[in-house]
Amino acid sequence: MTEITDQEAIRRVLAGEREVFGVLVGRHRDRGFRYAMHLLGNAEDAEDALQESFLRAFRSLRRCRDPERFQSWFFRILVNRCRTSGGRRKVRGERETALVVDPPASTATSPTADDLAWRESIREALGRLPVDQREAFLLRHVEGVGYEEMRALTGTGVSALKMRVKRACDMLREQLRDMDHAD
Amino acid sequence: MPTEFDNLDPRLERMIASLREASGPGPGFDARVMARVRAAGSPPTGWRWLLAPVTLRVRPVAVLATAALVALAVIGTMLMREGATTATVATAPAAPTSVVRFVIAAPGAVRVNLVGGFNDWDAEATPLVASADRGVWTVEVPLPAGRHEYAFVVDGREWRPDPAAPESVDGEYGAPNSVVTVVGSS
Repeated sequence: MTEITDQEAIRRVLAGEREVFGVLVGRHRDRGFRYAMHLLGNAEDAEDALQESFLRAFRSLRRCRDPERFQSWFFRILVNRCRTSGGRRKVRGERETALVVDPPASTATSPTADDLAWRESIREALGRLPVDQREAFLLRHVEGVGYEEMRALTGTGVSALKMRVKRACDMLREQLRDMDHAD
Repeated sequence: MPTEFDNLDPRLERMIASLREASGPGPGFDARVMARVRAAGSPPTGWRWLLAPVTLRVRPVAVLATAALVALAVIGTMLMREGATTATVATAPAAPTSVVRFVIAAPGAVRVNLVGGFNDWDAEATPLVASADRGVWTVEVPLPAGRHEYAFVVDGREWRPDPAAPESVDGEYGAPNSVVTVVGSS
């Protein structure tokens, strides 16, 4: 099947080809899960939030006024959904596997003990951030969203967002340093 | 391009790289989403959108409490300032705009802002003022006659529709908005 753009997919879904929405799901699923997983701290809540966001996007598809920017429009739905998610749990202590990259079938290499320890450390550090700082940090540095777009996604001013990112970086740096000293 | 606020160092950069490696959702995710999409039917288009039901989930106690507070605000306003209007009962004097009072109960909030088309959905343009016990937040906004969508943003994070609003719609980004209609003078 020839790859179609988001804009074409939206046009076809609104024209009645409901199954074409699966193209949008497949294309934006991983990035959405990554963000939701790191923000909410567990895979179950992340999948729920992501699934609800896709469903909301489908129902509101007519209101996507700039189909070429579906990703940003969908991400705003996801950010809002994650904020209202009622199943947030502390990251510390959770046995999650979101940071383990599934190995391709041809090269089954397992992460080392150091890799697992490192991933547990960063997951713990991320979980200690206040949720607004965690949100800003993930959007800015993991998802690569610019501050103006973050403003549109979150409804928060740029100055406030920059301060949240700075404080998040300062806190993470300190925690990672403490973890190094503790080893 | 890092800004002056980013201050990345090798540890943070390594952390960010690891976070970017995260895998996707479990197997069968796409199928579960599409099953719900099929069950949802076709997305509302054209005039059918007007008939699509909108569901708001609110706690009944919050509705009752906010409705009571709005009623008190309306009564208080009518007693104190003749001609004033509220977000739920809006009548316009002869002037082209009406002052509309927006009220929401948000105990424990640090700040509450009003967003809507009238302030370009700017979450910092229209802050509400808290009552003495910081349980009730209020702001008055002059609005021209017509239909206005709006919502509250609590603590810069939570998008909250007005539980006492008589009408709500799905917003452009999926979150629900409330609607107030300012009646123009005939």
